[in-house]
Amino acid sequence: MAHIHLGDGSFPLWALVLWTTLGGGLVAYVLYRLRTHSVETRHVALAGVAAAASFAVFQLNLPVWGGVHLNLTGLVGILAGPLLGPLVTVVVNVFSATLGHGAVGLLGANTLVNATEALVAFYAFRTLVRANWSAFPAGATAATLGLAAGAFLMGGIVVASGVNGSALPRADLALAVSGMVAVNLGVAVLEGVLTGFVVQFLATVRPDLVGTADTDSTDASGVAA
Amino acid sequence: MEAWRQYGVLAAVLAACTAAGLWGFTTTGGSLPYAKRFARALQEGAREGSGALVDAGRGVVIAGPIRKQGLVGEYAAVVAVLLAVGVTTYAYATRRASDPPDR
Repeated sequence: MAHIHLGDGSFPLWALVLWTTLGGGLVAYVLYRLRTHSVETRHVALAGVAAAASFAVFQLNLPVWGGVHLNLTGLVGILAGPLLGPLVTVVVNVFSATLGHGAVGLLGANTLVNATEALVAFYAFRTLVRANWSAFPAGATAATLGLAAGAFLMGGIVVASGVNGSALPRADLALAVSGMVAVNLGVAVLEGVLTGFVVQFLATVRPDLVGTADTDSTDASGVAA
Repeated sequence: MEAWRQYGVLAAVLAACTAAGLWGFTTTGGSLPYAKRFARALQEGAREGSGALVDAGRGVVIAGPIRKQGLVGEYAAVVAVLLAVGVTTYAYATRRASDPPDR
């Protein structure tokens, strides 16, 4: 569920430029790969459904850990794959920022964080399935690892950037951010288990959607070389 | 891999994350909404706090920025549009895939 909950102007200009450039670069690379590789229409549609679910859940504050929201980015990565997954996170972040949930200036940083969650979850899930793991433990473990990776990246981005208006020395800021990363790890447990159940259900009724069924030469991401 | 090993690894990952979460929860102010926790921790530093991990009485609410600006309708509309486009495209793609190829 990692998400940098700061307003516009919280990061210094150099950091804003850096994270926006990196986020934009990631999107450009994904778009380039999508142009050079064929993607099944079915997976594009599935990515659309995943975006709807992720956006809807993104805006709901749950009464656990003091009040948190989920992202479902692990599930997005597993379902949409390594190319469409990051694009879904862009869409969700743009719409969220438009409604005031998240700063417009932090779109690049938040896209990097959420795309990392989707990418790590996807590759972890594929690795675990190839190691003959069952759907639930593979889905739950992959999603939790993906979310953990995103949480650490979020912490790294905030500490590296510094926060405008914060008088905290860098060491104190790092300690505070460590606490925020840890909270995100706790939330990842909830989201990971939820993702595991959804993946388990899909593997039962539509194994082709989560890549637990043979899909000829096309891999689970819907991308054919 | 044997099931007990799979679930053992999963349990270890979840236990480590839960332990970290509990530490972070108390270190960053206890029972606070995420946005408030984030802002306070980064402006004022880590501060011990406590409170219930689950507040069932509060229920599930829409995120503060949307609720307070009266954008709940827009939120619902965006969800509906994304869902409609996704489901319609999915139904179309599935139907097209099941059609016999043109000769």
